[in-house]
Amino acid sequence: MPILLLEGVLLLALIAIAVGIILGKNLLSAIIIYCAFSFTAVLLYIVVGAADVAFTEAIIGTISTVYFIIAVKSISKGAKNGRKKD
Amino acid sequence: MEEKKTKRKVALGLLIVVVLVGIGALKVGSFLPTIGALDTPANSNISDYYINHAYEDTHAHNIVTAVLADYRGFDTLFETCVLLLSGIAVLTILSSKEKIAQKSDKEMIEYYRHSTFGSALMDGAFRIVVPVILIYGIYVLFHGEISLGGGFQAGALLACAYLLNRIIPKFDLRKQKAREELGIITAAAGAFFYVITGVLPMIFGGNFLAFGKLPFAASTIAELHADGILMIEIGVTICVAGVIITILEVVLERTNFDD
Amino acid sequence: MTDLIEKLEYFLADRGIYMLALILFAIGVYGMIVCSNYMKKIMCMNMMQVAIIFFFLTFGQKNGATIPVALGDIFSADAYINPVPHALMLTAIVVSLGITGVGLALLMRIKDIYGTIEEKEITGKGGKSK
Repeated sequence: MPILLLEGVLLLALIAIAVGIILGKNLLSAIIIYCAFSFTAVLLYIVVGAADVAFTEAIIGTISTVYFIIAVKSISKGAKNGRKKD
Repeated sequence: MEEKKTKRKVALGLLIVVVLVGIGALKVGSFLPTIGALDTPANSNISDYYINHAYEDTHAHNIVTAVLADYRGFDTLFETCVLLLSGIAVLTILSSKEKIAQKSDKEMIEYYRHSTFGSALMDGAFRIVVPVILIYGIYVLFHGEISLGGGFQAGALLACAYLLNRIIPKFDLRKQKAREELGIITAAAGAFFYVITGVLPMIFGGNFLAFGKLPFAASTIAELHADGILMIEIGVTICVAGVIITILEVVLERTNFDD
Repeated sequence: MTDLIEKLEYFLADRGIYMLALILFAIGVYGMIVCSNYMKKIMCMNMMQVAIIFFFLTFGQKNGATIPVALGDIFSADAYINPVPHALMLTAIVVSLGITGVGLALLMRIKDIYGTIEEKEITGKGGKSK
């Protein structure tokens, strides 16, 4: 099945992005890389043939990225206040 | 210097893990079925029944929707309940702490005048994009039996429109924001609608979620099943949208984007 | 050249895809153990979930089949991909959003109580002396 080659390439891309998330230093950049991860996963699901799952993952990936960004914003804001108190 | 050392250690450990798991997985993979084969256990027994009979049983072209909402309706009911539970959990965990003070109207207008986030470009994009997303969400909900889509996707799309509505527009465009309790009540109403759809056939002499006994006018049983699937999807849509809006509101209430 | 590609495809179908999916899973687990930032731990958990979902979806693949939307009059089982793993994983993805939400809520509570989300500073082990 020639489609398996495409799957293999996309899986390698997923692994590379995962390593980038683990080894990266900045939290905000890790979140943006996570967004790239979820969209690569969407491509992978489409290649496998699960179009419904890919559709869901596209929307859920966007929403969870927004959650992460809002949470990191709230957390870093608190950190600034804490430093002022010290 | 110290940080570089730990990072090198982490990278080395990662390499070792990848190599070891790769060698082990080569052994494990030989026991698993070959990908794409037609006679594997997963592809042989019940999935053949689903593919062959889904259309005549439920009038749903999309077999995934038929399996999700009709054959495995009980499963989906409890998945919806898990989602509702997660919304309640977020509300409970974050409710006890004091909230960040919201600005008054005048301050808000002044803030948005100087901010670049609510600029004219974003406003224009907002006006075009949000109605399209809403229409597409409704379309996905009602068209989910025929082509791709269904309750979960429609709910997430509607919540996505609300999310844009909450984040992008200028102050004078912004509607009164929904309270998070309202979101969780909406989600609970969606789950309740699902349960009502299940209980309704019990009153008329069927089992729980047996759509063949729904008290609607229809010529065949398959059309009744289509009605039941549509009702279930409406319930799932309301629940998913409510839960996403709840989590967003609760998290957003403790954040402000000043800096 | 074609011979090599054919061999590679056979290897991938037999065990290569499983190997890559398991490596992705292992990277997720490793990241959950090693990363000291709790938010990165949640991201690694989501990565693990993607690996599991893909592992399930591979069971439904069939040679020369199309996506499971029955348009037209073809109702032969071999013409459509197995829909059962799709239906199971669809719910799993939506529940993963709920898990992410609860995790972030707990994270914000941890931030309220300890003032940080770095594991080393909370447990006091291996952290820098500030």
